[in-house]
Amino acid sequence: MEAVVVDAGSKLLKAGFASPDQDPALIMPTKMKRVVEDGDGGDASMIEEVTVDPVVRGFIRDWDVMEDLLRHVLYTDLGWEVGDEGQILFAEPLFTPKAIREQLVQLMFETFNVSGFYASEQAVLSLYAVGRISGCTVDIGHGKIDIAPICEGAVQHIASKRFQIGGIDLTNLLVRELCKSNPLMNIDISEVEKLKEQHARCAEDQAAFEETLRACPKETHTLPDGQTITIGREGYIVGEALFQPSVLGLEEYGIVEQLVRSISSVSSENLRQLLENTMLCGGTASMSGFEERFQKEANLCSSSIRPSLIKPPEYMPENLSKNSAWMGGAILAKVVFPQNQHVTKGDYDETGPAIVHKKCF
Amino acid sequence: MYGGDEVSAIVLDLGSYTCKAGYAGEDAPKAVFPSVVGSIYQAGATDEVKHEKDSDSMYDSENADKTKTRKLYVGTQALGYRRGHMEVISPIKDGVVVDWDIVDNIWNHAFRERLLIDPKEHPMLLAEPSSNTPQQREKAAELMFESYKVPALFLAKNAVLTSFASGRATSLVVDSGGGSTTVAAVHDGYVLQKLLCFEFIVLTLQFCHDHADACLSILILHDVHTRESTFRLYLGRSSRQAPPTQGNVNMLRTTTTCLQAVSTSPIGGEFLTDCMMKSLESKGVMIKPRYSFKRKEIRPGEFQTVDLDIPNTTESYKLYSQRAIASDIKESVCRVPDTAFEESAYANVPMTPYELPDGQTIEIGADRFKIPDVLFNPSLVQTIPGMESFAGSTSVNGLPQMVIESINRCDADIKRELFSSILLAGGTASMLQLKERLEKELMEEAPQAARVKVLASGNSIERRFSVWIGGSILASLGSFQQLWFSKAEYEEHGVSNIQRKQILPNLAILLPVLMPLARMYCYSVIPTSEGTAGGVGRRQRGEAIGIADSWGLRARAPQVWNLVTVACG
Repeated sequence: MEAVVVDAGSKLLKAGFASPDQDPALIMPTKMKRVVEDGDGGDASMIEEVTVDPVVRGFIRDWDVMEDLLRHVLYTDLGWEVGDEGQILFAEPLFTPKAIREQLVQLMFETFNVSGFYASEQAVLSLYAVGRISGCTVDIGHGKIDIAPICEGAVQHIASKRFQIGGIDLTNLLVRELCKSNPLMNIDISEVEKLKEQHARCAEDQAAFEETLRACPKETHTLPDGQTITIGREGYIVGEALFQPSVLGLEEYGIVEQLVRSISSVSSENLRQLLENTMLCGGTASMSGFEERFQKEANLCSSSIRPSLIKPPEYMPENLSKNSAWMGGAILAKVVFPQNQHVTKGDYDETGPAIVHKKCF
Repeated sequence: MYGGDEVSAIVLDLGSYTCKAGYAGEDAPKAVFPSVVGSIYQAGATDEVKHEKDSDSMYDSENADKTKTRKLYVGTQALGYRRGHMEVISPIKDGVVVDWDIVDNIWNHAFRERLLIDPKEHPMLLAEPSSNTPQQREKAAELMFESYKVPALFLAKNAVLTSFASGRATSLVVDSGGGSTTVAAVHDGYVLQKLLCFEFIVLTLQFCHDHADACLSILILHDVHTRESTFRLYLGRSSRQAPPTQGNVNMLRTTTTCLQAVSTSPIGGEFLTDCMMKSLESKGVMIKPRYSFKRKEIRPGEFQTVDLDIPNTTESYKLYSQRAIASDIKESVCRVPDTAFEESAYANVPMTPYELPDGQTIEIGADRFKIPDVLFNPSLVQTIPGMESFAGSTSVNGLPQMVIESINRCDADIKRELFSSILLAGGTASMLQLKERLEKELMEEAPQAARVKVLASGNSIERRFSVWIGGSILASLGSFQQLWFSKAEYEEHGVSNIQRKQILPNLAILLPVLMPLARMYCYSVIPTSEGTAGGVGRRQRGEAIGIADSWGLRARAPQVWNLVTVACG
């Protein structure tokens, strides 16, 4: 049986058996609905449903919810049988604290009784998906942005950066902007997410952005409950937020500048090679116009430190940038598990959760 | 005693230029960021003095001036963004911490934002300068235990950790970092410092009549400076057979002194960067800080640099940004010359181009070799326009002189060993050709018989972080786990006990040396039931009691005091 690869993001959970040139079998929101019953007499109308997010900003925070979610994914959706669990590979974000890693391993071996476990960082996996082992990844997810230079499969932690902004902050920004232009609107946040995915786009460069702010075609959009709203320049503002974080109200530089600054801590021999193999991945990076804008801003840097984006191979499916961590995981799973480099049940029983730090890096 | 379990220790090294933090057992620190902070003074009432430990700025609630609060920005990200009125300040001056509030902020940033851990759950290994004072050590321990509530702490000297990182217990460590260069001799895991002064008493008792040659020896060691004593009991045979009727208390009193073998010089990486900047300025090159310009593409392939008008930028921030660029220039083009630098010899050297961030390309020629040579010959600084005001250049020694002086201050027996294991550490030590040049200079100045070997790890990351790596190795050793200074000990004995923890290994080193010496002079003493002894013995016995009393043994180590009184009657 193939190994299972799980990439639990802040918004979407990607899971499936390891088959590298296909999309993950299961892409579902990382959310659980908790049904809270009122204690008095079980009155049916008092049942509340609360949505819980177990993964916050990339890290697993609520372990019980995560356990339920994984149980559903592994046993119901992917078809594992109790007693015959296979091997599992997890993709985790940068700078995961050791305690969280150990807890995950413990959960896997003790509650789920898997036969083998491996964990790797999403940045490295994304590079594997495009067939490289050295380069830079800029992973713009829902809850976080990770910028990491990778040399020969090893993340250079000293030069990596993690930002606590992501798609969710862009959604909030869109809500604020829409409220300014459509004051009578009453909208749910999940609706705004869908709107963002449809309408957010990046202007060609800063000058074009300023022009757009002044004069922009407006579209009317009908919400499911009948309200109509107009959306025009708000989409561009959302797209601009990553390049000029002052839009979001943050005191930071734009993403290209951050990439260049963090990369310059790496020793200069490898610098050029790393920057020439820059990869964008993550859901938010698939905004229309994002890549072109990124490349354009990158060209403004002096030539010795100019990032350039790589093209994904043709044999990979279309949605590579959204699912690249999962696909890289599928590739890695095919290498690690047959060669017995993973953490086995025997290793875990002997050493305990700390074994994960020695075997997986 | 903190037993050390599976929870990983954290190794923290606050240097003068960068702060390194990470888990023990790993081969590189996870968090490396500058140890300077940006600070903005905001006039206004301090009503909302919130202690926001989760954001990367902190309100300075202990500021004596109540009308102004100070907001601190720590870390590369926060520091990299230009803010109006933000001054760049460093907590360390001349190797000594002057502002503990900033250090608190830096540690907080390292734990909560970079490593994402809770300090309550991890023992801490702190690296300290080789010539750290007891007050500094106590303050650091206090801050760690009170503010962060760590379960256990250990303070280790930089030189010792570097030595560990290379797998040697004895070496001469040349640590050339950002702020200063330190040369320290490490012997058997202990930094040889000034005026180690010990006294010891050896008392031997014959405790059993039937076995005339069995004896119990008590060796009491007393450190004169820290006023700590320790004792060891040895059971053995006396080396000299004395007739039972003679009684003697043998007492050896000696002092071992070792003059200061740790020397520092203010010439470090930052100083060299300043030299580079002044030298470029004198040639008319303007280094534009990154925030002060913007590039535009006016036509495809053609770029134009536009200067931005940025009001309220402080001088210190501008200097900080320029230094960052100059530092990069220094790291990419500088090389240590093979022989001492002379203007005439390098006048026609080919120029190396370097592209600045704003697009201008500069050419660097003789400076490539002149700047690194300042390490070897500090008086060169006088020839760089703009740096003539460097007052200490006449009294500061070059690197080879510092090494020779340090070695000469040590005992003759270890000098040979020190010459053959000179370790290079620190960011500035990863300059090209430094190792070869130092070896060459030392071979000329060292005594004939000595074999000079300068060791440096090939990987520049290992050189930059060798102190941290040594800490990582030390904290993950099994035999180290009993040396932690735990919270319980701190609460019971107070902070001054941490000095003791550092001193015990020292005494332990000397014991094997002293014991055989002591045994040579042992006679057996028979405590008769009447407690009498020969006339000579009585005087010496009285002296032993007097000395033990002056050490405060009666209060500090009552069991030993009892033994002394029994032995001496």
